Amino acid sequence: METATLKVFRFDPDKDKVPYYQDYEVPVEGTLLNALLYIKDNLDPTLSFRAFCRSEVCGSCAMKVNGKTKLACKTPMKELVETWKGKPLRIDPLDHLKVIRDLVVDIDKPIEKMKTLIPWLVPDPRVVPTDPMHESIIYPEELEAYKDQIHCMLCFSCYSACEAVEDYERYRGPFAFSRAYRFQVDRRDIETAKEKRIRYAISGGLWSCVQCQKCLYVCPKGVKPAEDIQNLRGQAVRKGFTDKPGAKKLKHYVDWIYATGQINRLYLPEEVYGNREAREKLTKAYEEMGVEVWEVPKPTKGLMKFRDIYLEILSKEEKALDLDFSHVRKIDKMVSDIFKADICTIVDRVHEEGKGGKLIEKLKGLFGGDNG
Amino acid sequence: MLEYDIVIVGGGGAGLYAALWAAENTILKVAVMTKVYPTRSHTGAAEGGINAVLTHSIGDSPEAHAYDTVKGSDFLADQDAVDIMCKMGAAVIYDIAHRGVPFSRRPDGRIAQRPFGGASFPRTCYAADKTGFYILQTLYEQCLKNNVTFLNEWFLLSIIHNGERVEGLTAWDIRNGGVHLIKTKAVILATGGHARIYWNRTSNALGNTGDGTAAALRAGLPLKDMEFIQFHPTGLAKTGILVTEGARGEGGYLRNRDGERFMKRYAPEKMELAPRDIVARAIQTEIDEGRGCGPRGDYICLDLTHLGEERINERLPQTREHAILYEGVDPVREPIPIAPTAHYSMGGIDTDKLGRTGIKGLYAAGECACVSVHGANRLGGNSLLDVLVYGRLTALEAVKYADEAPETNPSVAKQKDDERRILELMESEGKEKLPELRRELGETMMKHFGVFREESSMKKGLEKLMEIRERAKHVKVHDTGKRFNTDLISVLEFLNLVDLAPAVAVPAIERRESRGSHARRDYPNRDDKNFLKHSVVELKNGEYKLSWKPVKITKFPPEERKY
Ligand SMILES: Cc1cc2nc3c(=O)[nH]c(=O)nc-3n(C[C@H](O)[C@H](O)[C@H](O)COP(=O)(O)OP(=O)(O)OC[C@H]3O[C@@H](n4cnc5c(N)ncnc54)[C@H](O)[C@@H]3O)c2cc1C
Ligand code: SF4
Ligand code: SF4
Ligand code: FES
Repeated sequence: METATLKVFRFDPDKDKVPYYQDYEVPVEGTLLNALLYIKDNLDPTLSFRAFCRSEVCGSCAMKVNGKTKLACKTPMKELVETWKGKPLRIDPLDHLKVIRDLVVDIDKPIEKMKTLIPWLVPDPRVVPTDPMHESIIYPEELEAYKDQIHCMLCFSCYSACEAVEDYERYRGPFAFSRAYRFQVDRRDIETAKEKRIRYAISGGLWSCVQCQKCLYVCPKGVKPAEDIQNLRGQAVRKGFTDKPGAKKLKHYVDWIYATGQINRLYLPEEVYGNREAREKLTKAYEEMGVEVWEVPKPTKGLMKFRDIYLEILSKEEKALDLDFSHVRKIDKMVSDIFKADICTIVDRVHEEGKGGKLIEKLKGLFGGDNG
Repeated sequence: MLEYDIVIVGGGGAGLYAALWAAENTILKVAVMTKVYPTRSHTGAAEGGINAVLTHSIGDSPEAHAYDTVKGSDFLADQDAVDIMCKMGAAVIYDIAHRGVPFSRRPDGRIAQRPFGGASFPRTCYAADKTGFYILQTLYEQCLKNNVTFLNEWFLLSIIHNGERVEGLTAWDIRNGGVHLIKTKAVILATGGHARIYWNRTSNALGNTGDGTAAALRAGLPLKDMEFIQFHPTGLAKTGILVTEGARGEGGYLRNRDGERFMKRYAPEKMELAPRDIVARAIQTEIDEGRGCGPRGDYICLDLTHLGEERINERLPQTREHAILYEGVDPVREPIPIAPTAHYSMGGIDTDKLGRTGIKGLYAAGECACVSVHGANRLGGNSLLDVLVYGRLTALEAVKYADEAPETNPSVAKQKDDERRILELMESEGKEKLPELRRELGETMMKHFGVFREESSMKKGLEKLMEIRERAKHVKVHDTGKRFNTDLISVLEFLNLVDLAPAVAVPAIERRESRGSHARRDYPNRDDKNFLKHSVVELKNGEYKLSWKPVKITKFPPEERKY
C-alpha cells in the first residue's frame, strides 16, 4: 500500500511549552480527512481536529497543507502526494486564529467581527409582506446577484489567507464582507440597513483590503470576497462615504479621467490626504529628475468621444451621479482659462491642426513635451 | 452553575428555529447548546428540499399532503400530528423565505416546487440543491440578529428531572473541559438522528450519534418506533455519502447490470420516483439476486448522462462534485455507482402532537423526536418540514411553560456522577479498542437490521449487540487532556450508539410484519390486525422493555400502500 508522511502540528497549551510536529505514516487513499481519521483510529487517538459532514458542506475541516489552505474532506491524498512529489506533508492549523489545541482554532473572534457588519436580512416592509401567509415575489434573475456569496460555509480559509487580517487587527475578514454584501444586493433588504452596513464596513477596514485576491483563490466554495469588497467600495463612494482615503482615491481617478482622460499625479496626495505640501515637493522632485509634469494634465485626443462613452457606461450602470460635475467643471475652467477657450473647442482645434499646429506648440510651450 | 429559563440542545434546523421563535416571543433567558458550531449541523447536508403546499400550488391541498404522508408512513403516523404539520407548511416556508432563504423561483417570481418521491403533486420547495444548507445559514444569521446565546461546542451528558418536571442538564465543555451543571426550567432536545449506529454505511455526519435520544433513554424516557430506519436508496457505493433524491426528481434512471430500468418491475407507475423504502428494497433485491453492477455486483447504476451537462450543472451541481470527488466518476459521462445507505431515524423520543414528552418542560423536536409524523417511513422533503414546524411549536410550548414554571433545583449528584464516569473512562485498562468495536457495531446493524430483516438473524444480531454493549464498558479514553479532547467525545458518542442499537433491535424482532422501512423476509406483509401500533422501548434497570401504543387515525383508514 502506498503511504505518505504527514507532519502534523501538535500543541496542547496545558501540556506543551511550545508547539511541535509529529510524523504519521498514512495510506494514500481517499481524502486528507480520511488520513486524519486513520491516524485517530490506528495511530494516535489524542490528535485533535474538527470534522463533521465529511462531504464539504459543514466547513469544519479547513487547515493548511505545506502552507496552502485546504479543506481536508475535499482534498484527495493522491493529489497532495503528486503536487508535493512524495515530500512530507506539513499539516498546520489555520493562520490568524488562536490555536485551542493541535489543528483546532478559535473561531469566535471572526464570528464576532462578522456580526458587526449586519450579515442578515433586515426586511423592507414594502417588499417583504408582514403577513406571514403572503408570499414575497422574487424573480429568478434577482437570485443571480448573490448566488456566489450564499455559498459561504464559514470555513475561515479566506480569513487565514488574508493579508489585510495580517496587517490590521480590526479588519473584519474577507468572508464577512461577502456575507454583508449579499444583503446589499438583495431587493428585500431595507435601505437604512444598507447604509449602516456600508458605514460599519468602512470602520471595519473596507479600504484596508490590498486586493491581493488570495481569498478568492482559497475559497473552497467559489465565493469571491475580493470582488465583493470592490463592489462594496463602489457602493460606499456612491452613497457619499467619500471621506476615507481609499474612497477619495477612487473619486480622484474618476473625476480626472473624465475631465482630462488622465489621472493627475500631482494632485493625488493633496486630494486624497489633503496634503498640499506634497504637491510642491513632488513638482520639485519631478523637475529635478527630469520627469515632465503638468499642473493640469493635457486633455487627451478624442476626449469628447471618450467622455460620451464614459457617460454612457455610467448611466447604464445608473452610476452617472458618481461624477462630481462641480469638480469636473472646475478642472474644465482651469483648462479654458489657460487656453482662453472652452475645452471642447480646444480639443477640436488640437485635432484639426494636427501635429505641429499652433495649439500643440502652445501646449508644449506651457507644459513642455508631447503627451499626445 | 449556569442558569437559564430555556435550554435548546442542538443547533441544527430544529434547534435554531426553536431558538429564533423563543427569542422573538419572550424575554426569558434562552440558550442554545450544541456540540458543533450551529452551521456545521447536519441539516446543512439536506439537499433535496422541503415539502409544503403553498398558496399557488394549484390542485394541491394540505389534505392531499397529509394523505401522501400517512400513506407514505404505511399508516403508522399519527394523523392528528400529520394534520398539524401539513397545515403549517405554507406558514413556515413563507416565514423562512421572508427571513432570507433563497428559494429557487418560478419565472413569475413564486417559490418553485418539484416532484419528490411519494408525493401526488410537485410540492417540494428547493433552493438549488443546497436547501438545508441555505436554511441553516439563514436561521443562524437570524439568531445572530436576535442575539441568541450560544453554548458552542458543549456536549450534553444527562437530563435531570424529578419524575414530573425537568430541572436541568449536565454537559461537558469541549473547549475547556469540565462537567457543568445547568439549571433550567425547560429543555428542548433537538439533537438530530442516530443513523450512525450503522457506522460504516450511512449518509449521516460523523456526529449523528443520537446523543439526546440516548440521554433521554437513560433518563427513563420512552423511545418510540425505533425499529424504523430509513435507508436511502442512493448512497455513493464507496462511502455511503448521499446522492440527493433530486437526481431522480430531475429524471435520473436506475439501471442494473443489464442496463435495465428495473423499477418497472417494482413500481410500474412511479418508477424511479416511488418512495424511498420501495426503491431501496428494489435496489437491494437486484443486488441480492445477482443483478448488481461492478466486479462484485454490489452496487447499482444511477444514470444521469441523458440529462446533459448544462442541466446537471444547473440543477445538481453538488451531486456532480461529490460523484467526482468521492467516487471518481463524472455523472455527465458515466452512471454513478450507488447502494442503499442508512439515512434517517423515523423513531426517537416519544412526544405528543405538540412535541411534549411525559416530563413537564421537556420537549423534543426534529429528527431526535418521534411525534410521529413519519410513521414507518418518511417521505423525502418531509423531515425539514417536521424540523421547522416542531422547532417552532416546541419553542412556543416551552415559552408558555417556562413563563409560569417555578424555579428548579437540580441536584449536583448527576454532575458528580458524570465526572466520575468520565474519569473512569480515562482510567480504564482499555481491553477494548474503540475503532474495532465501532466497526463491529456498524457491521452487526447492517447485517442483521439492514434493508431486509429476518427473525433468526435478528436474534443473533441482538445477542451480538448486547455483547458489544458489555465490551464497550472496557473502552478507554487515551487522551487525558481537558482541552478539546476529541477522543473523549468519540467514546461518549459511541456509548450512546451502543445504548441505542438494542432499542432498535428489540422492537424490530417483535414487529412480526413488514411495514414501511421495516421489511421482513419472514413476514412480507403488513399486519394491521396485530401491528397497527407504535412500539415503545424503555430502559429499566439496565433492561430494554417493550410495550405498544395505539396509532391516532382520524381521516384516512389504512389501505394497501401501492405506487
Ligand atoms: C445527506 C442528507 C440529506 C437530506 N436531505 C433531506 C431533504 O432533502 N429534505 C428533508 O426534508 N430532509 C432531508 N434530510 C433529513 C434532514 O436533513 C434531517 O432530518 C434534519 O436536518 C435533522 O435536523 P435536526 O435539527 O433535527 O438535527 P441536526 O441538523 O442533525 O442537528 C443536530 C444538532 O444537535 C447537536 N447535538 C447533537 N448531539 C449533541 C450533544 N450531545 N450535545 C450538544 N449538542 C448536540 C448538534 O451539534 C447539532 O447542532 C437529509 C438528511 C441527510 C443525512
Ligand atoms: S483581496 Fe483583500 S480581503 Fe481578499 S485576501 Fe487579499 S486583502 Fe484579504
Ligand atoms: S468565503 Fe469561502 S473561504 Fe471564506 S469562510 Fe466563506 S466559504 Fe470559507
Ligand atoms: S468535514 Fe465538513 S467540510 Fe470537511
